[in-house]
Amino acid sequence: MMKTGIKRLSALALVASLVGCANSYVVLLPNPDGTTGKVIVTGKKGQQVIDQVSAAVPLDGSKAPEAISGDKIQRDFGAAIAARPLIPERFLLYFKSGGADLTAESAALLPKVLKAVSLRPAVDVSVIGHTDTVGDKEYNRGLSLERAQFVANLLRKQGLKVHALTVESHGERNPLVKTPDNTAEPRNRRVEISIR
Amino acid sequence: MRTAILLAGMLLSSTVLADANAIGYVKTLNGEASITTAGKKVKAEVGTAIFQGSQLKTAAKSSMGITFKDETVMSFGPDTELTVDEYLYNPSQNKLKLGSKLTKGSLNYVSGVIAKLQPSAVTVTTPTGTIGVRGTQFAVRVEE
Repeated sequence: MMKTGIKRLSALALVASLVGCANSYVVLLPNPDGTTGKVIVTGKKGQQVIDQVSAAVPLDGSKAPEAISGDKIQRDFGAAIAARPLIPERFLLYFKSGGADLTAESAALLPKVLKAVSLRPAVDVSVIGHTDTVGDKEYNRGLSLERAQFVANLLRKQGLKVHALTVESHGERNPLVKTPDNTAEPRNRRVEISIR
Repeated sequence: MRTAILLAGMLLSSTVLADANAIGYVKTLNGEASITTAGKKVKAEVGTAIFQGSQLKTAAKSSMGITFKDETVMSFGPDTELTVDEYLYNPSQNKLKLGSKLTKGSLNYVSGVIAKLQPSAVTVTTPTGTIGVRGTQFAVRVEE
């Protein structure tokens, strides 16, 4: 009798706590690459940080993170999770110094690029050219555009079919590796391809 | 619209863009959803463009997935409303911002390049609190 009473009480408390947050909450999920990040919730009733997978907090920040079940995640987010588009893919192609010729390793990546493109519905692709800091900025802006166009044309010749394509030139302003001016850096002589 | 984008994509020869202001596209759709931009409402289809200020809505028993230019991926369950209030993606000039507002429903969020380059530039606001994103996947639900 006593035991039942306690059970009933704790069930009531559970219901009360669920109603208390009105089921408006955020839950951390593992990243597609297997790592875990974090989210910070700032609400009317406080601030909470979640850094554990499956931990949840109400959006008003009133309670510390608490693990929730896979069943609940499925019930509340199954449809949203199932609708998730394929995670975008990114390729980096590298150039021989000073020109628009791909290194052999990078030329060999092109079939993988086309494959990633073909897997995605309404695929939109950005081809973004970059240089190192050898030469002046204007020259490099032109060179990085030339590199991006070269790669875009190469992909078209190999049968690229896209919903939208953008070709961009970042010159020497967006290096992968920060260097002083006039520094030859093979890792900065690149074209990024973002496939979404 | 779709043909125009494709054509422009094929004719593209410089930095001129087909749909220069598009910040993302619908990639998956189940059931019914709509995109409202600057007061104009269109029925969502796979390939429909999203713009800064677009209001995205899914109907009952429907879901939709969007991929943004910076590789942020958002997908929505049924009866969901989200507005993309601010979107800036210009890494070479350090102009980065992704502010969205979820007013009801369910959202699965995978952060992209903006969150990687400038974590403080990414927020999801809800009626009761704001979520700051530090390079991660999460799910958020707003019940009225």
